[in-house]
Amino acid sequence: MDDFNAYAPTWCPGCGDWAIGVALKQALTGLGYSPSSVNMVFDIGCSGNMNDFINAYAVHGLHGRSIPVAIGMKLANHKMPVLVVGGDGGIYGEGGNHFIHACRGNHDITVIVHDNEVYGLTTGQAAPTSSKGMKTKSTPTGLIESSLNPLAIAITQGATYVANTFTGDIKGVVEIIKQGISHKGFSLINILQPCISFNKFNTYQYFNEHSYKLDEKHNKADFNSALIKAMEMSTEKYPLGVLYQVEKPAYHEQLTQLVAGALIENKRYENFGGLIKEFF
Amino acid sequence: MTKFLWKIGGEAGFGIMTSGVTFAKIATRSGYHIFDYAEYPSLVRGGHNTYEVLFSEEEVFATQKKIDLLICLNQTTYDFHKSRLDSNSLVVYDNGMFEINDNIVKVHLPFKSILQELNGQQVMMNTIVLGATMALLEGDINLLYSMIEEQFQRKGKEVVDYNKQFAQKGYEYIKNNHPDKIKSILIKKDEKEKLVMTGNESFSLGTVTADCRLYAAYPMTPASSILTVLAQWQNQTGMIVRHAEDEIAVINTALGSSQSGARSAVGTSGGGFALMTETISFSGTAELPLVIFLGQRPGPATGMPTWTEQGDLLFACYSGHGEFPKIVLAPGDIDEMLKLTVKAFDLADIYQVPVIILADKLLCESHKSLDKEQAMSFMTNYQPNRGKTVCSPTDKPYLRYKLSDDGISERLIPGVQGSFYQSNSYEHIEDGHTTEQSKPRFEQVNKRGKKINTYLTKDFDLPAVYGDVENANIVFVSWGSNKGAILEAQKILYAQGTKSAFIHFTHVYPIDSNKVNGLFSKDKRYILIENNSQAQFGQLLRMQTGVEIKEKFLKYDGRPVWVEEIVDYIKKH
Repeated sequence: MDDFNAYAPTWCPGCGDWAIGVALKQALTGLGYSPSSVNMVFDIGCSGNMNDFINAYAVHGLHGRSIPVAIGMKLANHKMPVLVVGGDGGIYGEGGNHFIHACRGNHDITVIVHDNEVYGLTTGQAAPTSSKGMKTKSTPTGLIESSLNPLAIAITQGATYVANTFTGDIKGVVEIIKQGISHKGFSLINILQPCISFNKFNTYQYFNEHSYKLDEKHNKADFNSALIKAMEMSTEKYPLGVLYQVEKPAYHEQLTQLVAGALIENKRYENFGGLIKEFF
Repeated sequence: MTKFLWKIGGEAGFGIMTSGVTFAKIATRSGYHIFDYAEYPSLVRGGHNTYEVLFSEEEVFATQKKIDLLICLNQTTYDFHKSRLDSNSLVVYDNGMFEINDNIVKVHLPFKSILQELNGQQVMMNTIVLGATMALLEGDINLLYSMIEEQFQRKGKEVVDYNKQFAQKGYEYIKNNHPDKIKSILIKKDEKEKLVMTGNESFSLGTVTADCRLYAAYPMTPASSILTVLAQWQNQTGMIVRHAEDEIAVINTALGSSQSGARSAVGTSGGGFALMTETISFSGTAELPLVIFLGQRPGPATGMPTWTEQGDLLFACYSGHGEFPKIVLAPGDIDEMLKLTVKAFDLADIYQVPVIILADKLLCESHKSLDKEQAMSFMTNYQPNRGKTVCSPTDKPYLRYKLSDDGISERLIPGVQGSFYQSNSYEHIEDGHTTEQSKPRFEQVNKRGKKINTYLTKDFDLPAVYGDVENANIVFVSWGSNKGAILEAQKILYAQGTKSAFIHFTHVYPIDSNKVNGLFSKDKRYILIENNSQAQFGQLLRMQTGVEIKEKFLKYDGRPVWVEEIVDYIKKH
């Protein structure tokens, strides 16, 4: 696990990001990966700052744009796993369109979202996942919009692995990340985490009180059951665990171009004479 | 031989475009060179479409004002083009639809009743008039028959034969009723085989030649046909062609693919390009190679989607926030498009920068003929130059952004055991980690900046000069697709006794001041020609080199610069 350690994190003491950082390294080590065998994309935000704290082949991209970068990396070399690390602002706000369409494509990437229901790095504005009525620096009289439900969006738009977890349970986070990486297809791992500096509402205590673990009776292969569980998030009741998991072909598995091997390994096409026939 | 302009017009949605390309290919298969130009509104049905094909025994680069043969599928076509006809112009029309009272050569063709007689659909009027064309110009009707066979062979012999009847009727009607109007102008000759391609098709061929592995786009006129052409080819070429949800996803997907080591490109027009600009900046600082095709159309905003303009030059050159190197290339015709596309991929890899191919609707969608053998030899002889891209690092530990004299560092394709690194959109130190310190900031800005000088020294091409600047009375200065009209205008001016030269820029940004200054002297008359209202290349040239061109010919009505307009301008000034 030490191989993955880079710079010492600069997160606030007590921030949930620490737990996610440790869990991610444990999950990767547990699955037998090294920093040389993993592709990662970091969004912009406190979560994305993990780029300097973990070793990997990585891109630290633009705010909201990590998912399409990850898709491109996967298409060019599908033999390496591709992970995205971002926050609720980047993935669900600025990059919301990419998130929806990546679910539709069932691209084989693992998207890990630090969901603290606030903008941390810009010091406390409302996030797409903030609760209606929440007073923040950008919504001093209370947020008018209702909160976005990422789990329901992912399930309804075609993601094939949708999980919700909480940094109060590191073991659970590690296990869910491991399963997400091993899953073939689009994996959303929404991780509830308190922002101790800028969100005085969604605290450890709040998440402890409002969350519960899904038990064995939950049928994660059933779309309707999964959706019912996902919708609970909109009523501030957070189911923890894998809400939904089904096997469907990933995007890259449906490309004939990738049957022979990875895109970067393929031979150069040189039958120009065949192509130009249509211009004659 | 003189040039001959064939033109067809009619209601949008009834096969005008297909007829145009068919005729262009018949002309090249008959041994002639062509250049064509189509006008159409941003509608699928309704409105008026036109398509003109200029053919000649010599290479042609632009269309002309005078129409030699006009085919009117409705009266609008005639009314729109009256001013471009003279007493020798042949006009094919159906006098059951409307009558003509002007002094032109009337060629009545009852295509409405032929259509009824054969129980045909409206789109088959095109086949009738193409048959009539072959008779009027004494072309080989078998060339039209084989085009019909190629188009319909999948539907079986019956459909082929049915469609051939329409061509035959048109052909025979002319032979029987208008033998006096036939001109021996499209007589089949044995010539070298020619390709008929648009700028977009040439770019598409260039991407395959350059071994581009991923092309991403969101449809936008006039760049859309690149997406559809490459998508049709993808099972053959192995390229991944991805139509993503928006232009931001498009360019970030391509950049991710580039990160993983695949040559990647995107294509769009001004509006989509505007959405991409943040990522162009990212490509610049993360030093990730990327080729961006920008097919300009008149803006601002949605503008005039199906028309042409060169209004995005400065925007392209200065796209993206912050300071970083990029290269902008502007081909003038399909031959330059093929060569510069391939060069763009090499430059993107060598300098690890975004490279923009700047075209416009005129170049994107107009067909031109190109010697097939020449194109094939260029494509088969090309070998990609990936610069300092490596599959295993030379030094350990590997430093992605290692300082170097030429500003370029080794780029390791991810996946090698024992190494790892990040491509960072934040300012970074040599190994890729984020920094906000003064010293590495200076070092990395300087390192990236050095690539500009390396490029100017090693790969910047001086503008091509057509004619002899020393002996010329007039020196035209221009860039991109204006090349065609200026070359043709030069020929006319020469015949009228005016010697001109033409400085044609393709490597438009950055420009080497020292090398370019030598082309300009104080005692010459330079005329800047651009298809925009603000003389953007003039501004760029002045900014980059200090050269100021005071005399300007600017056009910005959505139409290309016409040959005759240049000639008239010289006459009047």
